[in-house]
Amino acid sequence: MYSYWALLSKEFLIDFRQKYPITGIVLYIFATIYINFLTFQGIISPVTWNSIFWIVLLFTFITGLAKSFVNEERRSLYYYLLIPPGKLLIGKLLYYTLYGLSLVFVVSLLFNIFLPFPSDSANTNLFLLNLILGSIGLSSGLTMISSIAAKTTNSSTLMAVLGFPVIIPVLLLAVTNSRKILLGAQIESIQGNLTYLVSLIVIIIAMSFILFPFSSRN
Amino acid sequence: MRYLIRSDWWKWLTMALVIYTIVGGFLMPAPRLPILNETVRNLHFHVPMWFGMIFLFTGSVIYAIKYLKTKNLENDILSATLVDTGILFGILGLLSGMIWANFTWGEPWSNDPKQNASAIAMLIYFALVILRGSLADEHQKARIGAVYNVFAFAVLIPLLFILPRLTDSLHPGNGGNPGFNAYDLDNNLRLVFYPAVLGWTLLGFWVATLQSRIKILEFKKELE
Repeated sequence: MYSYWALLSKEFLIDFRQKYPITGIVLYIFATIYINFLTFQGIISPVTWNSIFWIVLLFTFITGLAKSFVNEERRSLYYYLLIPPGKLLIGKLLYYTLYGLSLVFVVSLLFNIFLPFPSDSANTNLFLLNLILGSIGLSSGLTMISSIAAKTTNSSTLMAVLGFPVIIPVLLLAVTNSRKILLGAQIESIQGNLTYLVSLIVIIIAMSFILFPFSSRN
Repeated sequence: MRYLIRSDWWKWLTMALVIYTIVGGFLMPAPRLPILNETVRNLHFHVPMWFGMIFLFTGSVIYAIKYLKTKNLENDILSATLVDTGILFGILGLLSGMIWANFTWGEPWSNDPKQNASAIAMLIYFALVILRGSLADEHQKARIGAVYNVFAFAVLIPLLFILPRLTDSLHPGNGGNPGFNAYDLDNNLRLVFYPAVLGWTLLGFWVATLQSRIKILEFKKELE
């Protein structure tokens, strides 16, 4: 238990030792949302709002999580000798799930200021549940992809190229759910899709545990 | 694959089946269905491409897993050539489907779940080719490629079940369209369709064995 705590605090230290990567990603989110505000202000329908929200979220995740292994490639041999890969992966998954959730928090906060939630009648709790599940799916899928992309020389391009096709299923389910919720759906009508989403997350995490020991070795 | 490389009886079978498919597919009686009319014959050329693609990709995943277990680069060569041939079949399937859709649906690309699934599958395997191209070391290329291959395949399979839930398919036999299942697929079509699937799939494996034999020879020559 103590080792997971140590891994988490190590990730936290690496991110906050320098202030500008975190500030950079927040500024990235702000700039994207502000451009959307200037373009879409006043003419936005709930369905368009939904698409913009998820597109901003997707690009934030790809930019934010690309660093999860890439920055640490120099240290990978050290980690490999120090801890079993499964443990390292648990640490990474935990940290980047939390990191993803805080990105979601920042995005939602800024959206609330500039392009507020478009529907009064929609079930907000259900929307949040779907949002959290979608964000867990995105961050766990991208963590594994990042560990693959980190091995290459042009990792930032490959992160997008390898990541998009793999997270499309998660994204399709989450976006469809959230559109239905905005149009007034209740839990009964999206139950099936939510179950699919949860099982997809389970598949992604299980495959990560099977495959990470191979991709982490040098 | 290793058995297919060693033996050759199945190549005669492939030739017979493909010739039979081409002759029978164009000349044997086909049912008259609304909208589809004579384009129903595309069943013998378009659909087997997808079957072949799925078999080839499944084969490549099996060899990727074998590589991860044995670290034998020959398994990686087999896996890579199966992916190449699968991509070829995928492109042929997309083209034959788009030409067909242009006549029956009025446009080459609609928001059809099967079209989307195949486009995403193509994206995944193009990404795999790019990933392998960007790694220099043979063993690293093989290992990272195999990891991505297995990971992507495990996500692709659920996708094939998810997409149809989101929109209805325009494909024959789905969502009330006239199609080939149950009472529609008559025995004349079946007589050509099943041999066609087997024939085109075997043809794909034939292409893959030729390619991998060349690559394995080159690999052995490099070792000397």
